[in-house]
Amino acid sequence: MTAGVLVVAGALLGLGGAIAGALLPKGWRVRAATALIWAACGCEAAAAIHVLAIDRPIVLRSTELLPFTGVTLVLNSLGAFFVLLVVMVAVPATLYGIGYASHGLDTRTAACVFPLFVTTLLLVPTAGSVATFMALWELMALTSLLLVLVDHSASEASRSAGTWYAVLTHVGAATILVAFLILAAHSGGQTFAAIAVHARHLASGVRALVFMLALVGFGSKAGAVPFHVWLPKAHPEAPSPVSALMSGAMVALGVYGIVLVGDDLLGGGPVWWWLVVLVLGGASALFGSLHAASSTDLKRLLAYSTTDNIGLVLLAVGAAGLYDATRHPLLAALSLVSALVLLFNHAAFKGALFLSAGSVQVATGSRDLDRLGGLLRRMPQTGALFLVAAAAISALPPLNGFIGEWLLFQSLLHGAVIGSTAADIAIPLAVAALALTAGLTVVAFVKAVGIGFLGRPRSESADEATEVPRTMRLAVGLLVAVCVVLGVAPTLIFPAVERAVKTALPGLGTRILAHGVDLQVVGLRGMLAPAALAGSLAGAVVGIMVLRRALSRQPTPRVVEAWGCGRQLQTARMQYTATSFAEPVQRVFDDVLRPVQDLDVTHVAESRYVIESVTFANTVDDAIERSLYTPVIRAVRRWGQVARRLQPGSVHRYLAYGLGALVILLVAVAVMG
Amino acid sequence: MGSLQLRHVDAGSCNGCEIEIASVFGPVYDAERFGTRLVASPRHADGVLVTGPVTRNMAVPLKKTVEATPQPRVVIAVGDCAHDCGVFRGGYGVVGSVNDVVPVDVSIPGCPPHPTAIIEALRGITRR
Repeated sequence: MTAGVLVVAGALLGLGGAIAGALLPKGWRVRAATALIWAACGCEAAAAIHVLAIDRPIVLRSTELLPFTGVTLVLNSLGAFFVLLVVMVAVPATLYGIGYASHGLDTRTAACVFPLFVTTLLLVPTAGSVATFMALWELMALTSLLLVLVDHSASEASRSAGTWYAVLTHVGAATILVAFLILAAHSGGQTFAAIAVHARHLASGVRALVFMLALVGFGSKAGAVPFHVWLPKAHPEAPSPVSALMSGAMVALGVYGIVLVGDDLLGGGPVWWWLVVLVLGGASALFGSLHAASSTDLKRLLAYSTTDNIGLVLLAVGAAGLYDATRHPLLAALSLVSALVLLFNHAAFKGALFLSAGSVQVATGSRDLDRLGGLLRRMPQTGALFLVAAAAISALPPLNGFIGEWLLFQSLLHGAVIGSTAADIAIPLAVAALALTAGLTVVAFVKAVGIGFLGRPRSESADEATEVPRTMRLAVGLLVAVCVVLGVAPTLIFPAVERAVKTALPGLGTRILAHGVDLQVVGLRGMLAPAALAGSLAGAVVGIMVLRRALSRQPTPRVVEAWGCGRQLQTARMQYTATSFAEPVQRVFDDVLRPVQDLDVTHVAESRYVIESVTFANTVDDAIERSLYTPVIRAVRRWGQVARRLQPGSVHRYLAYGLGALVILLVAVAVMG
Repeated sequence: MGSLQLRHVDAGSCNGCEIEIASVFGPVYDAERFGTRLVASPRHADGVLVTGPVTRNMAVPLKKTVEATPQPRVVIAVGDCAHDCGVFRGGYGVVGSVNDVVPVDVSIPGCPPHPTAIIEALRGITRR
């Protein structure tokens, strides 16, 4: 019962944070709200750890709080894992928010809505009924939408991003609601416990419909292709702590929803469901990493990289479902473990990257890589932290990204022959997609670090950049520390992950991974010793440095400027740019990226052999947005224009409509009655 | 020394010396027999082969090229113009001789110097 008190206390503290943000004067509100949010995070984390330790769900009910349905909170091990994930991002993000406050987060609205957003993030995984879940889910969507729009009066892009996000998230919420309503209607109750009992006996068509609706809804929140279009618009416009939370935590809750409906409520499904998830995941991973490799806006790059990482997670979730459907419980569990580990890792490094991108934006006023450069020397700590986080997301050992991808590779490589033809084709393709994605991610982040932080500054503002306040660096440092610790000692979170996985796939009795310093997959031939790996890497680095110093013949090397063929004017424009770095990728994947290139040559009037000016424009906009969404938007707009003819503003016409409707209704009643 | 990698800089030559240098590294004289070679970057070079009087446009690039060459290095001035500006002395575009811009270690006279004279100087450095 004490754990239940903690959950409620956390929720109340979060609400208190929102109230403090709304009522207190400007100098106080962000600090007070942040303190209360930390207290809320502490309570929820304690409750989550308690649940994971006893491995039994805690249930709370209140009939008064929501009319008709009441509120049901159930915190099980799966939810508890996601609560911990949210806490892990929320604490650094809000800490960062203190230093970042003057960039749009200290207005009354933002200071009130930001704590509310964090609170809903914390509570969504604890929802135990359809009504509670949808209320929290919608509150999460609305608060995050308001936070995306913080900058709305200054920028048109922010308003447009808000519209995209609002529409996609609400279409998603609608399909989720329909899925839940179908389930609830067949279960005689709207708690997840009741649904989980009845959903297994539904007709297969209904189950498939529910799963696909939920997949669309949660997929749009998770940012999976083709519902990802809001991510590269909303993330760059949102304040950086909000981007970090949206990308690290909120997107993960989309995956939580898919696991909740697919595994927890429906209890698994046929092979083809999970093939759909697998294909969605593979497509997201490839599409996201390709666009990340060709983006030049730092936060847009990170947003596409979120789509890429969520794609990998969905690959793992899909593979888990496939293995479960073909009765390979161990492989299924391993895949789901890798999905959760990938999500946790992604939350850590993507949070750190978004926060560092925010620091760069604060220091230089720009997110455009082609206007940055040379920041490692001007912002050494932020630069170093960004570098480590970028290495983590590129899955370089000994950092956490490597562990997640290693686990996913293990589960996919061991699933070579599982006895379903479609799966036997899909799994090797998934391995290939994973490999290509890993390579493209490296390209994207070599570009982000190389162009943004190395070289010479490409603009005056980048030249004059100075290090950001200490709280902001500390916040990024916390997340980077998580990346390093989980890379060296990943077994720290494995007990929690295993309990969460066993909640989603209850058939499993044995342990999935041997606990110890090394990672060992029980029953399979897969072994990794991350600590030894880290130790030997560190030893090698130290050894090379010592040897180099010992063997070096020239004690003081002469430092001269980079060789530029003796040119007298070496400007920052003569460097690689983000665009030119991405050009080979863009050329190779021309068919997928479909860049729009425009070359305009103006000749002088006297002779067409003499050129007066040349303009070249190269934009890589989203091909899916262009070919899928633009026609829909155009059609909606056309129908809107048609519908406007019904609304000419004439009172007489409206009265006639009312009369007509009444007559039709009366006739209908008379005929039917 | 044995081996000498050279980066050639035309500081404002009439191209007479260039033709002789091309001949030095051509099949007839083949200076690579004696361990000398032309390379594409001063970063790869042990020395700089300079021809012509140093013109205003080439003074800074010449300095930068010599600066970019690792030490120990030699600077070889090829031809009379490199030595004392030759017929271009006093020209409005001429800064001065190579020695006025960078310290010269070896000077090869001639307008243009005969390939054998250049090879003789290079062999003097490589000692082969």
